[in-house]
This record gives sequence, structure tokens and C-alpha cells, in this order.
Amino acid sequence: MSALVVDALDVPFGDAAGLTDVSFRVRSGERLVVVGASGAGKTSLLGALAGFVSPSGGRIEMDGHDVASRPPERRPCVLLTQTPLLFPHLTVFENVAFPLRVRRVVGRDVRARVDAALAAVRLESFGDRRPATLSGGQARRVALARAMVSRPKILLLDEPLAALDPSLRESMRRMILQMHADYRPALVMVTHDLAEAGRVADRIGVLVGGGLEQIGTPEEVFRRPATLQVARFIGLRNELVGEVRSGTQLVVGEVRLSLPGCRSPRPETGMGEGPRDRLPVSLVFGVQGARLVPDGCPASYPVDRIPARVESVLHAPEGTTARLTTDHGPVEVRVDTAEVPAAGTAVQLQIRLDEAHVFERSSGSRFGARPGLDGGGLHRA
Amino acid sequence: MSARVRSAPGVRPGAGSTFRWSVLVVLGVWALAPLVLLVVVSASGGWRFPSLLGADPGLGAWRAVGAASGSLWAALGTSTLVGVGTGVAAAALGLPLGRALSNLRGAWRIVGAGCAFMPVAAPPLALGVGLQYSFLRMDLGGGVAGVILAHLIPALGYTSLFFLGVFAVFDREIESEARRLGADAWQVLTRVTLPLLRRPLAEAFVLGFLVSWAQVPLTLLVGQGQVRTLTVQVLSWVQAGQDPLAAAGAVLLVVPPLLLMGGASLAFQRAQVVAP
Repeated sequence: MSALVVDALDVPFGDAAGLTDVSFRVRSGERLVVVGASGAGKTSLLGALAGFVSPSGGRIEMDGHDVASRPPERRPCVLLTQTPLLFPHLTVFENVAFPLRVRRVVGRDVRARVDAALAAVRLESFGDRRPATLSGGQARRVALARAMVSRPKILLLDEPLAALDPSLRESMRRMILQMHADYRPALVMVTHDLAEAGRVADRIGVLVGGGLEQIGTPEEVFRRPATLQVARFIGLRNELVGEVRSGTQLVVGEVRLSLPGCRSPRPETGMGEGPRDRLPVSLVFGVQGARLVPDGCPASYPVDRIPARVESVLHAPEGTTARLTTDHGPVEVRVDTAEVPAAGTAVQLQIRLDEAHVFERSSGSRFGARPGLDGGGLHRA
Repeated sequence: MSARVRSAPGVRPGAGSTFRWSVLVVLGVWALAPLVLLVVVSASGGWRFPSLLGADPGLGAWRAVGAASGSLWAALGTSTLVGVGTGVAAAALGLPLGRALSNLRGAWRIVGAGCAFMPVAAPPLALGVGLQYSFLRMDLGGGVAGVILAHLIPALGYTSLFFLGVFAVFDREIESEARRLGADAWQVLTRVTLPLLRRPLAEAFVLGFLVSWAQVPLTLLVGQGQVRTLTVQVLSWVQAGQDPLAAAGAVLLVVPPLLLMGGASLAFQRAQVVAP
């Protein structure tokens, strides 16, 4: 049974529409990470689940009960915010014990559970300390212990790793995963950080344009984005406008590419095609979705190269990329550090079809993903 | 490398410090001189023009105060009862009122604060004249309860404005945090809000107590002479020309507020209010 069921949820942002028709389910022990840009409505979604934001429609079911009319304290969930506040008048021990006290847990059970929670975040000896004496990282760990100590059936985490330095972020993530593994609540975490989502999630939901555009495993979302908006959000920054002809051939300017799984087009493509055979699409790929070929190398049929010119070269910890100008717009691709082209060099851009995605421009949906088609696209599911 | 602090051109080093100390001394003399005079006069046989201080030093007035023990201690008890009652009620009601005022925005907040300030701005005599008839009709005249209610009117003005300031810096996110952890509204109030506000609450209590403690016109008009607080008692000694006795009573008037303020300050030295 799902611990959390969200069905057709609408959450307004003031007078604006906000989130519309958001639906998903999370099982006990499952980790769903909802990703979205700043302002996408991630915090509002958690606020609605926790009972702090009133939805304008839809249903929220927790642990088998409709909780829409329940106040926050009567929902079987705990929300840990991005900047949790510790109670300054209570010791660390009493801060962690707070959720137990308000649930009227008494006696030695409180001591045992608080001690265990503090041990899980490696702050066993901090029980008598006041929050004012803790560092920022220690305070975040206390807040994590406090969120988990009452063992809520549903744990809601709002960017819990934001604004932490890399080493603290890594250790906090491990603590979250360990504590989650210890008693396996249904976990819903929101973040704008895709790498973080990939490390934590069993499934990822992509919140774009006020709705959940896609829910799937990290591999599904990152390798097979369902819509153009998802592809843009996950950082596939190169987008070339073209069209699919006869459902088999992708045309971007002079470039003609055979869509995998489809028969190769005839050399005289374009002959006999009507407007209904031409589907406007966007070809989208990441920095690894194309490679540079020295200008002048002969291209075989079908033509799979786009003339380009190197505008600049960018060096970053994850690799070196080149920004190119083409007749179809700017493109950024990964380059081999041993063969970094100089700015101004004329090159050819060869698209790697196994790393690229095609989306219909009218609907933004993945080409070939519509019912009735063979699920073609450029990726095999 | 060590850094040197240079004085601004034209300013002698230490001039600021001298000025600060001078201001502090003047303020100290300003605050303490009347009290010292009171003590001196209370330890004299009388005060006659043009003598600046009392004449015939002695403890006659204090012996007289001791001899008048019945009425004096009764007045002290009544003052304490009325002061504590007013302080408690003013703190307890000022908190939600101040919070409600802080929730108002723009012009509404100004209007709200203005309304709260009205009883403070109005002369107590005017308030007393206005109140005595209504209190008489409600059978509250001439009793301690009526006097407490009357004192509460200006005291509540002070404490609600005081809490308006407190809630301007109180981070209410801490209350939301408690709710996120499963606390209901009562638990948030009793386990988070009130413990965090214990110092402002104590200060509001002291404020209400002090307003009541010094109140004369409202006590006289609403109490109709039947509620004899220490201030009323001292006033009657002044009117009777018993200056040393009035001075000794006035010294007694000063002691409880000082003790209260000192005690509250010590007790809540470490308490902190959550601020953004």
C-alpha cells in the first residue's frame, strides 16, 4: 500500500494558478525526490502535504487516510525545512525530544530514542549543549535527528542539503540515507540539485510549469526525458530546431539524419512529401551529445554534420567544453582536453544520435512516445 | 602587523570617553538625587523653609511609620495586591493584543497602535472621572477589583505597545517549526512561545505593576477612598504636612519596584527572544 497518495492536487500561489493536477504515490521505504527550478512550487508542494498550504483541489492520502481537512499536527508526517530552527530555550537533547514530548511519549523510551537519534548524527555527547553553542553543520544534524526521532510514516525534506559545504553535504546525505534505511519511512525530498536527486532518489519527479512533467527512476529521467521542458531542466542545453519527415528522417538545415529503428530515407528525400509529413521538432542534446570533427573531413550520407565555429572554450572541474556558433543557434559540446580547439576555428559538429532526443514542438512531448507509434525516438526504452 | 586606531583630526584621544562618563554621572545624579533627598528628609524632624534639607536629624519619622504599622502595612499590602493583579493581567492581555497589533499592516497598524496609546496619553484624572460613574453603576466602585480594572486601562496601553515592539522582532518561524514537528496550537504556545517570551512577559508584568504602583487619581476616584494604597496613604501624609512621615513612606514606595526590577533582571539575564 502507498504511504502517500497525491491525486490531482492543485495548489495556488496567491492569485496565480500555481501547481495544477499533481499526482503521485510513494510507498513506505521509497524515496521520491521532486526536482524543479527555483519558484517551481517545490516548497509549496511540501507545504500542502504537511498541511501548511491549503490546496484548491485534489486529494492527499497519508497512511490510508484522507488528510485534506487535518491540521499539520494530525498528519503522520514531519517536514524538515531548508533552514531548520532549533528551539533556543531547550538543550540539544530536549530539542530532539520535542516531537516525542508533543506526541506524549514518556519515560525511558524518550531517552533511548533521543540517544539513538543523536548517535545516528554523531552528536552523542552534545545532549546538554544549547543550540547557540553549535556550529551551523551541527545544528543541521540536530534538526535531522529531531525530524527523524518520532519515526513519522512520511518524511518531507525541503532542500536539506542546500547551502552546505561539499564535505558536510556528503556526510549529511549519508546520514539521511542511513536513518531512512533504519526505519524506512516514505520520503519525499525536494531539491533543485539534479546530482543530489540522482544520489538520493529511488524515483525522481520533475516539477516544471506548475505540474509534474515526468516521474521515473533517475536513469529514466536523465536518459529519457519525457518532454522538451524536462530535457531543458535536466541541463540538455543544446536545442536545434528542425523537422521529422515521413516519420523517419530528421532534418536540421542541410543535415539529414536517420532516426534509429526507422528505415533509411531515400536519397531524394523531400520529393513527394506534403506538409502533413513534416513534423516540426526540436533536437536536444547535452554537451556529450555531439563531437567536433575537423573542418574538411568528408561526410558520408546521410549528412550528419553541421558547420560550426568555436566561439570560446570553457574549463570546469567536470571537463572542458567549447561554445560554438552554428547557423541553427549556439551549441556547447565537451571536447577532449588533448585537442582543445582555438577560438575562431571552423569545425564540424557531429551529432551522436544515441545521446540526443527529439521532441515535437507543438506539444513538447517526446517524438514517437505517442500512443500508436512504436516508441521510436532516438532512445530505446 | 599591528593596526593602530587613529583619532579623527581635531578630536583629542579620550574625549569621547570623558563625555560618556560625564553623561553617566549627570544621569546618575538626576536619578538618585531625589531618592537621597527622600532618605535624608525621612531621617529628620521636619522640613522648614529655607533649609534645603530637613532639620533635627533623627529616626522619629521611621519610628512613627513603625507605630502606624496597621494602616501602613495594610496600605502596602493593598498596593502589592493591586500592583500584582494589574501586572499579571496587563502582561497576560498585552501579549495577545500586541501580537494582534503586530499582525496589522500599514495604516491599520498605526490606527491600532494609536488606540492602544490613547489610555496612556489621556490624563489619569480624566480617565478616573470618566470611569467612576460607569464603575459605580457596575458596582465596581470602592473595591480592589474595580481599582485593578481601572489601573489595567493605562497599564494595558503600555504593555500592548511593549509587545508590539517584541513581536516586531520575534521570529514566528520558530512556531511554524514546532508545528512542522507535530505540536498543536496549545503545545506551541506552552512549549515554545511562552518559554521564549518569558523575559518580555516578566518585563511586561513589571511595567504593569509599576503603572499601578504609582497610580493615585484612578485609585482615589474609583476606590472612592475605601481602597487605600501606599501612594494614597503617602499622599494623605503630605496633605497633612507630615513631611518626614511622607518621606519615609515614599522611601517604602520606592523599594518594592526596585526589588522587582532587579529580581526580574537577574532572573531573566540569560533568557533570549528569537529574533530574525
